[in-house]
Amino acid sequence: MANYSTNQFKNGLKLMLDGNPCSIVNNEIVKPGKGQAFNRVKFKDLITGKTLIKTFKSSESLEGADVMELDLQYLYNDGSAWNFMDPDSFEQYAVDGTYMSDAKGYLVEQDMCTVTLWNDNPISVTPPNHVILEVLDTDPGLKGDTAGTGGKPATMNTGVVVQVPLFVSIGDKVKVDTRTNEYAGRA
Amino acid sequence: MQGKLALIKRQRVIQKIRQFFEQQAVLEVQTPTLLNIPTSDVYIDSISLSVNADIGMQSTQYLHTSPELEMKKLLANESGDIYQICQVFRDNEKGECNSNEFTLLEYYRLGFDIHQLMADIVNLLQELGIQDKVQQLSYAQVFNQYANIDILNTDFDALKIIASKLGLSTDFAWIEELQMLLFVHLIEPKLKNLPLCFIYDYPKSQSALAKVEYQVAHRFELYLNGVEVANGYDELQTKGEYQQVFTREIAKRKQLGRPVPQIDTPFLSKLSQPLPQCAGVAIGVSRLLAQIS
Repeated sequence: MANYSTNQFKNGLKLMLDGNPCSIVNNEIVKPGKGQAFNRVKFKDLITGKTLIKTFKSSESLEGADVMELDLQYLYNDGSAWNFMDPDSFEQYAVDGTYMSDAKGYLVEQDMCTVTLWNDNPISVTPPNHVILEVLDTDPGLKGDTAGTGGKPATMNTGVVVQVPLFVSIGDKVKVDTRTNEYAGRA
Repeated sequence: MQGKLALIKRQRVIQKIRQFFEQQAVLEVQTPTLLNIPTSDVYIDSISLSVNADIGMQSTQYLHTSPELEMKKLLANESGDIYQICQVFRDNEKGECNSNEFTLLEYYRLGFDIHQLMADIVNLLQELGIQDKVQQLSYAQVFNQYANIDILNTDFDALKIIASKLGLSTDFAWIEELQMLLFVHLIEPKLKNLPLCFIYDYPKSQSALAKVEYQVAHRFELYLNGVEVANGYDELQTKGEYQQVFTREIAKRKQLGRPVPQIDTPFLSKLSQPLPQCAGVAIGVSRLLAQIS
């Protein structure tokens, strides 16, 4: 991979940092009145998901990370891996459970997900912002409560637990925001 | 309308600055923008221009990066207290907080030390409506408080170990560059929580044109909400001291492979009489305006 100098840094650029592929979230140029220029850069580690801040002197360079984001359709889980397919090329990708993290709880067959590849290997999966899940288990609700003021936990068919309004019952389909794990309405 | 409001605000602030100095009998001056010799500051680049080519007298001139030396010529010539508000120009500075041209307020007070000058700046800021609680921390204090580093007693090699533990570059020629890196990385983000903070007494490796006493240079910087707004010195006075600084800076520029200016002998020749004891400061007016509501 090519090297990138600090003057090529921009948001979204993928670079290697301490052996992990990272994405630039924010790049701040700091030039003290009496002193050399620095870039204070906020990164997201694409493997751990953690953010970190590093400061570089201007003209320092970092190795680029071979990172690609693909829109893939979720097919099925075969017990050890989650399987996705490129709907154009029909090429299939198997994602190991260790890279699935929170995404597991929101995978619905046929949904399109963003799969991040590093050196052609999947390292993370981002589900759509909203998914339709089925309530597998929840306490019986109060009939007639549609105001949704209170809430109760509900276990979805994917295993994730979401706080839902009291009127939601087992077997209902609900819309869930995958970024916040919040109930976003009836499906 | 938004555009006009900004112009009115700017005009009012400049007017108040002028009033502030008039009340204290500080004289407003204007010094040349176009100079024969570029700055020797290690990390500041002058913008050069070619003039008079069509009349057969081509020469290269440089836009001033600060009016400092020209104003010091006036001080050496018994001007007394002076101030100037002017545009200055710096090459290779472009970013969210930097640009190639900006407005500087530069002023010098005779007989002041940096603590008197900092108090004077607080008065000026209050006149301009910045009434925040004033914090004054020495360079050693901020490093101790925010990073647990004894910055004045940690040598180059030990700082390299600290930087490498933080995953930062250690590829620096001089200790001051590493001190600055650690300041930018560890300290400056913390200053964002302080509305009005002076950092003073810098390590002597960062003395620039300030007087050095034991381990520290009597320099200060003003940060408003984490933005560096001003830089002041207890000014060096003698020709020998300035010559030493210029020579050192020029050697460093050479080592870094940056354009090497000639030594400013016209300036040095004006210092046959030393400068009066004084403290001076440069304040970034645009950055200051951004902090005034």
